[in-house]
Amino acid sequence: MTLSRRTLLKTIAAGGAASAAAAIALRAGATSVEAPPPVPPDARGLLFDSTLCIGCQTCTVACQRANKMPSEKSVKLINGAPYLFPTDINADCRTVIKLYEKGDRWAFMKMQCMQCLEPSCTKACMLGSMQKRQSGIVTWDPMRCTGCRYCQIACPYDVPKFQWDSPVPMIVKCDLCLGRKDGKTGSACAEVCPRLAVISGPYEELLATARGRMAATPSKYNPKIFGEHDGGGNQSMLLAPAGVEFTDLGLPALGDLPPSRLAMNIQHTTYKGFIAPAVLYAAAAFAVVRNMRAEKKANAPQGGKEEDQP
Amino acid sequence: MNAHARPVGGKIVTPFFLVLLALAGIAGVLVAYRLVTGVGSITALTDQYSWGIWKPINVVTFTGIGAGAYGVGLLTYILNKGKYHPLVRPAVLVGAIGYSLGGASVMIDLGRWWGSVFLLYPPWYNFNSILLEVALCVLTYVGVLWVEVTPAILERWSADGSSRLKRLAVRLQPKLQTALPFVIALAMLLPTMHQSSLGSLYLMAPTKESPLWFTGWLPFLFLLSCLTMGFGSVSAVDILAGSLMPDRYKTHMTLLGSIARVAGWVSLFYVVFRLADLTISGRIAHAFQRSFQVPFFWAEIALFTTSGLLFLSRRARSDRGRLFTAAILAILAGATYRINTYLVAFDGGAGARYFPSVGEILVTVGLAALGVAAFLLIVKKLPIFAVGKART
Repeated sequence: MTLSRRTLLKTIAAGGAASAAAAIALRAGATSVEAPPPVPPDARGLLFDSTLCIGCQTCTVACQRANKMPSEKSVKLINGAPYLFPTDINADCRTVIKLYEKGDRWAFMKMQCMQCLEPSCTKACMLGSMQKRQSGIVTWDPMRCTGCRYCQIACPYDVPKFQWDSPVPMIVKCDLCLGRKDGKTGSACAEVCPRLAVISGPYEELLATARGRMAATPSKYNPKIFGEHDGGGNQSMLLAPAGVEFTDLGLPALGDLPPSRLAMNIQHTTYKGFIAPAVLYAAAAFAVVRNMRAEKKANAPQGGKEEDQP
Repeated sequence: MNAHARPVGGKIVTPFFLVLLALAGIAGVLVAYRLVTGVGSITALTDQYSWGIWKPINVVTFTGIGAGAYGVGLLTYILNKGKYHPLVRPAVLVGAIGYSLGGASVMIDLGRWWGSVFLLYPPWYNFNSILLEVALCVLTYVGVLWVEVTPAILERWSADGSSRLKRLAVRLQPKLQTALPFVIALAMLLPTMHQSSLGSLYLMAPTKESPLWFTGWLPFLFLLSCLTMGFGSVSAVDILAGSLMPDRYKTHMTLLGSIARVAGWVSLFYVVFRLADLTISGRIAHAFQRSFQVPFFWAEIALFTTSGLLFLSRRARSDRGRLFTAAILAILAGATYRINTYLVAFDGGAGARYFPSVGEILVTVGLAALGVAAFLLIVKKLPIFAVGKART
């Protein structure tokens, strides 16, 4: 019976060694990989200023037109009144303005892809369909996509959308109008905004504009620029009115490191560039060969090799 | 490998078999419909809950049950307990079928399934993708498991195949014998990698997973749970075979007793480890809050504890019925943990809901039925179980 207990311990040791090492390494690794992701040299993005937005949704309409998206078909009842407009981004709508209320405070929020500096979707994607390509913009390559939707699981902002009703489904998300279909260039939403609540441009310029606006009227703003550091930083950033928290606008509370770092640390420290699995395989092969040979020898006196019997 | 394994024989087309085929047929029709109309047509999936029951049940639970091949293989080949040999073939067959169904289910679930051919095109590999690792490991492992089944086919051919098949079998057998240890070693490595990575997948969603389940130890806990599920399924199969063929097959109660000790301690270790992890990291308070997730958490803990204690009780280890209960509870425990991690713990966002559609459930049931049918067919035709000679 002591034999079984030893067997148990060995089983756990043999099977669990890899993962245990991973979790231990996680603590060690967490300190070593804390550098924020780099900003691509040609990075472009959006800046949304909630204090200027009047919720006119012109940006949504311009986006739909520029990208030749079908317009909303389902009529919803909102507070008892019929409403024919997207209430959230979906496979037919890449950006939308949402109203958030909390107590007597309210604010508009523009939802679209944040163009993370180190996106979870590009880490999750099996064949590199989702990648940061030109200007650091995260784009989707249909050839490389298997439709597994792990990008949807991984994205902290729930941005990638899937065409559920198509046998040849696509992943739809904001690409800052990189693939714009009306012959123009630039981001359509920023082009049409009547209040400069959404502007597009090079990352550094947007950051400077955001800081400038906040410095001009500090009392108007929440002092934080969402996306400057959140989740490692985004190329698309947001400003909120004073007294409104970004979590009240439906945004996740992320640390200053990309949310995929933990998974990456555990996975990469365990696998060590595939050296660990190779070593484990060699050890397993050695044990199996030795044990099978020993067994063959042990069985030999009782009438030949076990394996050869029909 | 097993000197006394024989085909079980008997009639293949029984009423039960036809029921299984009918269930599989319904699933087949639904799958055909889904291929023409899209994933949304027969599922309740949404952009917020884009992975439904097909992932945690069809893939993660079927392969967990199939992990018996891994668990028994570890005991037999790595820890050199050759006495477990009679359990290996049934376990490997369950594994081969379970993993094949899991793989098939992924293909049904993939929106752009044709794109998966590029899984064979390394230049496109994203080495950061945990899902890629799982996909490649599982694909390879399905092949490895069927290679492990081939000795049974070759034995059958050399025993009573046509003369050509017989010659082929005689030629292949020694080659297979030489290659087998290296295949088996692969069969030990791959589950270690992908069973743990099935848990790592959710490390990518730190803001969406409930703190009761989100931990850096997800891969380790998934590895532990595949061992308990695997030991459970091996025991359940051996006990079922013994009760269905009382005069021809003797349940290996002594062997199952030893496995039960291992499975029991692993189950209890899981419970202690899980609670310790939650306590040390200060997340245990969530287990006493009012939320719909809390009962699922305690169900998971209760199932692991009960099956563990039952496995370790002397009475259960000498009583076939009790051991069977423990084995089924062990499978349920692992399945609950895995479904919890994939669905219960996952927060799709404000207002998002998911409950499996009838279509999803019917496809899952149909795939399971297909698996049972394939198992029955194969054990009747190939030498898998060490059964006595059929009386004629």
